Amino acid sequence: MDERAPSPTARCVVLGFGDAANLPEADELPTESMPLNMGPSHPAMHGTVRMVLEVEGEKIRSVDVQIGYLHRCFEKEAEYATWTQIFPYTDRLNYVSPMLNNVGYALAVEKLLDIDGKIPERAQFIRVIVGEISRITDHLTCLAASAMELAAFTVYFYLMKAREWLWELLEELSGARLTHSYVRIGGVVADLTDDFCPKLRDILRRCRATIVDVDKMLTSNRIFRDRMDGIGIITRDDAIGWGLTGPVGRSAGLAYDVRKDHPYLVYDRFDFDVPVGSQGDNFDRYAVRLEEMRQSMRILEQAMDRLPAGPVLLDDARVALPPKREVYNTIESMIAHFKLIMDGIVVPPGEIYSFTEGGNGELGFYIVSDGTGRPYKCRVRPPCFANTAVLNKLLPGLFIADVVPTFGMMNMIGGECDR
Amino acid sequence: MAGDRQAPPGPRANVKMVIDGQPHEFPAGLTILEACQRVGIVVPFFCWHPGLSAPAVCRQCLVEIKGFPKPIPSCYTPVADKMEISTNSPKVLDVRRQMLEFTLLNHPIDCPICDKAGECMLQKHYFDWDARFARNDGSKVRKAKVVDLGRHIVLDQERCILCTRCIRVCNEVARQADLVMAFRGDRQLLTVAPGRRLDNPYSLNTVDVCPVGALTAKDFRFSMRAWELWATPSVCPGCATGCNIEIHSARDVIRRLIPRPNPAVNKYWMCDEGRLTYRRVHQDRLVAPMVAGAPASWDAALGEAARLLASARDKSPSTLGVVLSTQMTNEDLFAFTRLAAEHLRTERVYLAGAPEGWCDDILVSADKNPNTTGAKLIGGLTLRTATDLKQDLETGVLTALLLVGEADAVGSLGSLQSLVVLTSHQGAPVAAAQVALPLAMWAEVDGSFTNRQGKVQRLHAAITPAGQARPGWAIAARLGQALGAAWRYANAKQVFSEACEKIMLMSGADWGKPEIPVQLRFANSRG
Repeated sequence: MDERAPSPTARCVVLGFGDAANLPEADELPTESMPLNMGPSHPAMHGTVRMVLEVEGEKIRSVDVQIGYLHRCFEKEAEYATWTQIFPYTDRLNYVSPMLNNVGYALAVEKLLDIDGKIPERAQFIRVIVGEISRITDHLTCLAASAMELAAFTVYFYLMKAREWLWELLEELSGARLTHSYVRIGGVVADLTDDFCPKLRDILRRCRATIVDVDKMLTSNRIFRDRMDGIGIITRDDAIGWGLTGPVGRSAGLAYDVRKDHPYLVYDRFDFDVPVGSQGDNFDRYAVRLEEMRQSMRILEQAMDRLPAGPVLLDDARVALPPKREVYNTIESMIAHFKLIMDGIVVPPGEIYSFTEGGNGELGFYIVSDGTGRPYKCRVRPPCFANTAVLNKLLPGLFIADVVPTFGMMNMIGGECDR
Repeated sequence: MAGDRQAPPGPRANVKMVIDGQPHEFPAGLTILEACQRVGIVVPFFCWHPGLSAPAVCRQCLVEIKGFPKPIPSCYTPVADKMEISTNSPKVLDVRRQMLEFTLLNHPIDCPICDKAGECMLQKHYFDWDARFARNDGSKVRKAKVVDLGRHIVLDQERCILCTRCIRVCNEVARQADLVMAFRGDRQLLTVAPGRRLDNPYSLNTVDVCPVGALTAKDFRFSMRAWELWATPSVCPGCATGCNIEIHSARDVIRRLIPRPNPAVNKYWMCDEGRLTYRRVHQDRLVAPMVAGAPASWDAALGEAARLLASARDKSPSTLGVVLSTQMTNEDLFAFTRLAAEHLRTERVYLAGAPEGWCDDILVSADKNPNTTGAKLIGGLTLRTATDLKQDLETGVLTALLLVGEADAVGSLGSLQSLVVLTSHQGAPVAAAQVALPLAMWAEVDGSFTNRQGKVQRLHAAITPAGQARPGWAIAARLGQALGAAWRYANAKQVFSEACEKIMLMSGADWGKPEIPVQLRFANSRG
């Protein structure tokens, strides 16, 4: 893992009064500790987590983060579904970047099937494109929600509008705005729409402008900086110790990006940078995400430029559904279709851990096959599970008001964390 | 039974041979296919069946033998010393694929409407060994889609892949040559022999052995998709033979019974009559306890039953009778025998059951009760017969009766002062009873039957009992408690273990491991 220099956008200026330590000690106020429940209904808890704080005055003495409000038995359900039927479930893991989950899961099964080297190149490019779009929507959502929670409502609408452009494009492609289920084992379900690339280029142009606007509105904004700077500092050692990955890990100076360090799909063919932070505070997490969106756009433009022609699904009747025309007119393809739908793809017995760079960090799938058409075990390593865990360490000592930006910058997504 | 190819008696030398590069040793007399199966090497086949002769007509099991110019059918060729066989060489795989392509050439595109879809050998072999797109786009040879072959069977001649398994079932199991092949080449078709119908008592076995959906059972066709069914191992309740079966059910409805191989009892087969015994599980059931003809709660009905029995016992135990049935499980019989001896204190325990019927020397027994042997072992020598019961009812010796299980023609019940009935079905005894309690049937309980050979065989609950019906042993325990008994049973296994301890002739019986029902969809296409 190589260290990279901080990106130019990470920490340029420091405004504000300084950190919380210089403020009059809350301890000095005559008070006694009391429990305070934040969530699960608190709007800044995004509806899915509960924090039991022990506060003294406004200062947090200890915190108990309680997850599980969005537990949907993903892993158990997966044991009762065929390998292909699990795609819709993966949509609902990190539901602000479903394509990345689709891709991560498909790669795991393909590795176990030993067909990961045979996926058509066009399909791999398309997977990169839809994945990077999803990464942008993931970061847009995180920044929008956090900005709104810090009273920057305008920013929220700017960013949500940009997210909507991208989701509308993905809706055109997959038929669903959010729950795409677009990726298949062996490729993707359908080719890009005819005008996909021109539309995406147009959207990226507008997104860039939006990000510039947001950068102007937040990065030098006194109120925003006061709430973000120096709050929730994570050291690089802590990041490693707590298993933090993704933008949270990178903000702490841990330059680990699965796309760079363990390239998958065709990521090694693209030129992009991995931004890292220097302080590991909330502002660095914001800045890293902002820069990552720009880098994703770079990848998208390169991928569109070099998009090869060809099939988008593996030509193997044991893995991918045959074309409908064959299914309706020949017994061979009819049987293949039937077996794939009813029995599922026959994945040879074995186990594998496959990991990709999700919106929040290393998204891992550990799957075990017993040779039948459905997994014996399908375990997810959700990146924001680790990210949420570190809150227990970060929050004590901060003010109640700091919970909101600190939690927001962790981008805990209930669907992914609780599964 | 015909079709068993056992090695002739006497010591025979082992042969040493090589399969796929690995040395193996087998007893002489095995075929190559059987030898491969013993060491876990999969060789696909259509026409071969472990219980039938091998005509080697499907050519799907071809393997290469070193020194032979052409691939050889493994189902037909005996193993020999120094043989070197290849089951996965490029040539074998290619031949296998070509045979499948040939078989599929005229196969109709019927999977979505075919009863066999999901458990079809042709689907399985294509997916496992071929999985290529069609190369031909010519029209297929059309044949008759609906041919009524007999009482239970409908044939789709287009789907037939001409493996002749069904013909051999008729010839070798039922010993009636009802089916034949007619014509040649791509016009070849299966049909009934001139002047005959497929009406032998084992005709439904042809549906089981059919590798595709050509032969379908009128009873099952179009009623359920096979892959949605759950399979539970059990024993046929139709007669004393006790054929091992699988109950195929979905959402608490039994859809069919199919034989489960057991070389010691039924080989691979069962009779048509036995297959249809499941219908009675869903017909005319008594679903709630009844007191004086009106539905009542279990507590009220058990209290009333205990009161009636206790007062009859206290008046004179010699006028109180208990009727058990040879249709009951060992556990129910044991619990009620104990109840009669310890708490009703009567020696008038009768054994009734279904009357005798037809039989043959293949599988069907004249005794139409599944557990006559078990009842006699558990009841012992003091059991009285159905004839005694009829006589005692007519002469008025009995004034009170506890009638358990199903029994035909017990005699006139009108003379009784009190009658408590435990049964699974509506009928005359229920109508005449002061108290009637609903009994769970064989497919709804865990338990065991002892067949005519003395084999104790397990039943597994496939569906939940109809309405409020309960297993007999549980009702016996509740009745016993109402009559002051200290004993109670938590499950059937406990009753079984106690029976094995106390009944000497059951002492070797084993309850076995719990069986988890499997959905056929995930049984990996058993084909």
